Amino acid sequence: MADDTTLDGYWLPISLGRTPLGPELETEERVFGPGHVRLRVADLTPHTLREALVALRNNAHAVLADRPVADIVGTIEAATRRLVEPGAPLREELLSLLPGLTGFSPQMIEIGLERMGAGWTADALRGALRSEFGDLAVLDDFQPRETGGFERAFGPRLTVHVFSGNIPGVSVTSLIRALCVKSASFGKTAAGEPYFAACFARALAEVDAELASCLAVSYWPGGTEDLEAVAFSEAEAVVAYGSDETVRDIAGRMPPQVRFIGYPNRVGAALVSRAALSRKRATALAEGAARDVITFDQQGCVSPHTIFAERGGQVSPLDFARQLAGALEELAGEIPRGTLSPGESTLIHQLRAQAEVRGATVLAGARGTEWTVIVEGRAEFQPSPLNRVIHVCEVEELSQALTALEPVGRHLQTVAVAAEPATLTSLAARLGAIGVSRVVPIGEAAWPAPHWHHDGRFQFLDLVRFVDLEQQAE
Amino acid sequence: MDVRDGPRAEVLKYIRDGPRAGPEDFEHLALQVFGYQFSENEPYRRFCERRGSTPDSVAHWSEIPAVPTAAFKEAALVCGGPEQAEIVFRTSGTTQGPGRRGAHYVRDLRLYEAAALPNFQAHVLPDGAHLRMLILGPPLELAPDSSLTWMLARVRREFGTPDSAHFVDDRGLCLEELIAALTESEAGARPVALLGTAAAFAHTVEALDERGRRFRMPPGSRIMETGGFKGRRREISRDELYAMLVEWLGLSELYCVAEYGMTEMCSQFYDNVLRERARGRSPDLRYKVVPPWVRTQVVDAETLEPLPDGRLGVLRHFDLANLDSVLAIQTDDLGVAGDDGFEIVGRAAGSELRGCSIAMDEWLTTQR
Repeated sequence: MADDTTLDGYWLPISLGRTPLGPELETEERVFGPGHVRLRVADLTPHTLREALVALRNNAHAVLADRPVADIVGTIEAATRRLVEPGAPLREELLSLLPGLTGFSPQMIEIGLERMGAGWTADALRGALRSEFGDLAVLDDFQPRETGGFERAFGPRLTVHVFSGNIPGVSVTSLIRALCVKSASFGKTAAGEPYFAACFARALAEVDAELASCLAVSYWPGGTEDLEAVAFSEAEAVVAYGSDETVRDIAGRMPPQVRFIGYPNRVGAALVSRAALSRKRATALAEGAARDVITFDQQGCVSPHTIFAERGGQVSPLDFARQLAGALEELAGEIPRGTLSPGESTLIHQLRAQAEVRGATVLAGARGTEWTVIVEGRAEFQPSPLNRVIHVCEVEELSQALTALEPVGRHLQTVAVAAEPATLTSLAARLGAIGVSRVVPIGEAAWPAPHWHHDGRFQFLDLVRFVDLEQQAE
Repeated sequence: MDVRDGPRAEVLKYIRDGPRAGPEDFEHLALQVFGYQFSENEPYRRFCERRGSTPDSVAHWSEIPAVPTAAFKEAALVCGGPEQAEIVFRTSGTTQGPGRRGAHYVRDLRLYEAAALPNFQAHVLPDGAHLRMLILGPPLELAPDSSLTWMLARVRREFGTPDSAHFVDDRGLCLEELIAALTESEAGARPVALLGTAAAFAHTVEALDERGRRFRMPPGSRIMETGGFKGRRREISRDELYAMLVEWLGLSELYCVAEYGMTEMCSQFYDNVLRERARGRSPDLRYKVVPPWVRTQVVDAETLEPLPDGRLGVLRHFDLANLDSVLAIQTDDLGVAGDDGFEIVGRAAGSELRGCSIAMDEWLTTQR
């Protein structure tokens, strides 16, 4: 194995001799991504998978139950440093592999590592946990309640994660959330990004082998029903990321009593008021909006699809769109768009022509499909085919934008806003009523704070169950 | 040439001459057609002008600006305006809702017939067979704006026996009647031609599979299938479909001919297999034949620059039969060009959207 350059795209507690799986486990090589990257993944059978899941649960019971949360978050920070700190060998590995696996440019991957890593520090995790639990001690021991009696939070004995392949690193965040509530985790990776989670497990093993024995990660093609039936039946909680269809399908296969947390399709938008379209601010806004668009080439649930810009400001929506186009052109050099499949490129060419013939103003990169701005007066939310295609919709009043967003409310997540501070709260309230769960300044859409309410929900509280100890029990 | 009417007589003659038409004349005619379209097709002229292309600047047919098919959803791309159309064909629009259906305004059905009928005959009936046609598609009155339905009705009238019939009604595929017709054909040793969409054939063979009803169609029986698998829960590959057709209908794969056409084009493309067979050859490669009055290019999906043979890209067609609409069509079909034709590899639309950002088609379907 020493001279074999194929890397492991899996991690099983077997690696620590903690499961009885040894001789039974087989691996296979698979080729992933536009760069045809070869990875070794576990060739699990329903039997070996069940063995691994049972081992995970046992390991967690032995290792995690008595580990203080403060200790766990510290270990997580030590491990994730090995993924994101300049010069760290595992970081180099990620930088060399992820572009070929995901199609994103190396520059994008590098920024992603840096920004994601900021959410994986002990400070960030403690802050996020505190924002949900108040006192972290409730994860370690029974704590008195104001109303009398005691409570303690228990994470699932085993959380099964079904990752999506769109954004590298989201899988790691998901595993970290479960670790923070002392849950063992099995992560089923996606073909679109089958490596990062296993790499995190290896980093964790380097700093704390015991903790890493509570994690397992591998790949199989999504929808492999016999394996997934085993995984779901052994889990106490299942977290799934993916398209509406994927999440619906997985939800339909949950055994009773398993807690299911689904993160389906979400889209974003942006609102720019006429007050914000001053000559002084417009350029910076266009630059911020461009960063929101280019980050992970709009593959994220936080990414904007349509920007509604109000008429009547010093800078017209069309001029704002031109500045946005200029910023996208500049960023195309600094942080290049990823490699597209022929189908993805074709969609963009088709959409450009469709918009043009409809009478829209189409501003576009000239080399290929590297960026596209489509400016129209029709107050309608327009979904983007992603990969740096952004619609700019001119509106007379921002209220038209709210009306246009209403029909897609259940799909909305992040709306980036540039408006007068005095109107911000009422605007956010109206957006919230439609279904939006995150309102941020333009330029900040791509990087949610570590303590955010992901899709409007709790990151940790959704996973745990509380045990009440009533006074009479003393 | 009367500009208002274009080089109509010349194009009709060129198409009707078929293989006898001189390849060098294509060049000349294509440029004439472009001049006519530039002058008479208003939205197309604007499209060209924005690209700096005019009849003066375009020196070769391959430089004629190609219109992406999606543009047909937004404008009446027809010379003289939409009121000139003899018939309007519309795309099925299932992916983007009824409000977003592409429309091809056809001003002169003679061109359509001149292109469609001999080409069908050359590739589906190259042996001159006169067969009963079992059409796994609706009669024209149920789908009056479908170009495929129109073509099948026209083909049936031209080449089918009087007892040819349709096996789709407003409730869907009429399986019992179809099985009865197949039984009759098998018992009477009377070959038939089955024509329809891939989805209809997939549905049919699955039904035969469920019933365990296996046919051995009489020699000379053949299939022409077309289109994708839209509306089916599970997509199957063309190879799988053909294997099932061979198994359940008992005919050779060489008698299964795929047609590839689109609402936005008057001309179609067919597999070479049956034509080769009629010439006594056993084709080792299945590909789509480009008719003499059409040129097909494979272009790079990202830059839209033409690619050398053998490279995967997007198909672009130059169809003289599209005299009154747009000669140069940029499709979203992926393919590879070879010596005599091309192979289709798949469609771009609706595929490829990853992750937690929404699939555009799905969203549009649910919202509109």
